[in-house]
Amino acid sequence: MSSILTYDEKVAKYKSIIKFENVSAGTAYGGPATPANHMGMLMKDYITDTKKGFQAYIDYIKLVDNEAPIDFLNTPYPGMMHVILTTMWLAKVKIPGRELPDDDLWQIDEKPVIDRETYDFIIENGFEAFREMVLPKVIDMEEVKQFMQYISEEGPQQSKAFIENGFPLVSEIATAPPFEILSGARSMPKFFMDCYKIADKIKEAQDVMLPKVIENSINMLTNANAIGAWVGGWRGASGLVSPKIWDKLVWPYMKEMALAMLDKGFIPVFHLDQNWDRDIERFLEMPAKSCVLNTDGMTDLRRARKLLGDHVAFMGDVPAPLLSTASADKVSDYVKKLIDDVGIKGTIITSGCDAPANAKFENMVAMIKTAAEYK
Amino acid sequence: MSIILQLIADLEDEKVLVEVEKQLNDGKSPTEIFAECQDGMNEVGKRFQEGEYYVSDLMMAGNIFKEVNEVIKPYFSSEDGETLGTVVLGTVDGDIHDIGKDLVYAMLSAGNFEVIDVGVDAKPEIFVQALKENPNAKVLALSCLLTTCYDAIKETVEAVTEAGLRENVKIIIGGGPVDQSVVDYSGADKFGKDAQEAVTIAKELMEL
Repeated sequence: MSSILTYDEKVAKYKSIIKFENVSAGTAYGGPATPANHMGMLMKDYITDTKKGFQAYIDYIKLVDNEAPIDFLNTPYPGMMHVILTTMWLAKVKIPGRELPDDDLWQIDEKPVIDRETYDFIIENGFEAFREMVLPKVIDMEEVKQFMQYISEEGPQQSKAFIENGFPLVSEIATAPPFEILSGARSMPKFFMDCYKIADKIKEAQDVMLPKVIENSINMLTNANAIGAWVGGWRGASGLVSPKIWDKLVWPYMKEMALAMLDKGFIPVFHLDQNWDRDIERFLEMPAKSCVLNTDGMTDLRRARKLLGDHVAFMGDVPAPLLSTASADKVSDYVKKLIDDVGIKGTIITSGCDAPANAKFENMVAMIKTAAEYK
Repeated sequence: MSIILQLIADLEDEKVLVEVEKQLNDGKSPTEIFAECQDGMNEVGKRFQEGEYYVSDLMMAGNIFKEVNEVIKPYFSSEDGETLGTVVLGTVDGDIHDIGKDLVYAMLSAGNFEVIDVGVDAKPEIFVQALKENPNAKVLALSCLLTTCYDAIKETVEAVTEAGLRENVKIIIGGGPVDQSVVDYSGADKFGKDAQEAVTIAKELMEL
């Protein structure tokens, strides 16, 4: 059954979870691609026919909510998702109906579009000049214009619909630290090699990029009257990069972005794909009870809770394979065990990363229902 | 511990190349140098499994190994280069991701396997064809980063079975969202949680 909480009460609940003052676990929906199939839309129409696509998105969430109460949304509707991803990672994105079959999921086509000399270009010319140079290589700029128009026309309506339906969107946008942006544009294998060979140069470029990245993020959050945003940790995961790289090129930038959000009253959600066990204690460097770690099932949350105590709230972490292939009972068992181990205080149950496009409806319901009813 | 082994294990890329060229010029057998490089890669794999090294280190090592290989290759005669076995590798139908696959390629090659890479977005028949063309291949390695491609793994396993090749070929799967539940779902034999484990499993399945 739907939550009895109003929109404002849910926002208050979110804040109470971050303060570890909650009396029940929170539940969040996060699955940009999940609704399409269940609502009978081809993926190509779902992401390009934005009015219908958004309606399918919110209708799907309401269907889940009718069975199991959703407190918050961790992902927005993915209208023209390829433009968002391209502008975030400066990499080409293949989309259904164009480069991919009509009902396939969008995919990043990661090829290097910058070379080693580009770091000097960034240092000399700044982040905006760099973006202006790279973007036309990875996307038709006409599409960027169309996206801007779509956001300005439909963004406010979408926000209104979330409020009217009682679903606070706690992660309005995904922000990418400089490390992630460069990794996308240079391609991960080449960028990682650069990190070994010319780390100081990359640091210099990232130092130039960071203030503008922060300024752009804060502007977007302010314009949207947002609650908070993802600080993306994808290629910078502890499981992927050596400590030397992480300490120098990943964490200082993620931290500064999150602190800047906090400073302006937005709640940072560290969206952490892959394994962050090695460096999990570094989140103690954030102000206590101020942010959320959003993990995908690969980071050991039991260990994290022991090390972090009530310093940082968790949002996670039902793994994608469980949601798409397992039974509802198995999903429910996973959630119960997670709650048994990490407790309900400072805990929001949701899918690990995004719920997959082929997540079973009954599994999404089982995840939310168990979180809401167990303890 | 040989100098080359040590330099590769410590990811000293430029020094490795200088040392390899020096030893070749001094007349040392390329086969022996190559074996030391492989030992270096084994040490990298060991450090990865022990948690001392991370994926970026594996990538760096793979890159060094590739560069060294390019230097040594011209010195090999045709009878050199006996491998442990052949693996057919690719990313399954509908999935265009290649980073994980390429890393597995690098680690298997460094582990002295011959690797037949069929690329990304490969339909089941492409894998079947590669297995037919390489009847000595005992392992098929399937990479997948999208949960929506679990069916493509399953269909590939079924295609291998239908082609009458399944008895002779073990199938391993890997990629971000792949775990034992996907092995159960698809009918594959095992999953590897990382590129280094792909080497361990390939050896295990080939009973090496």
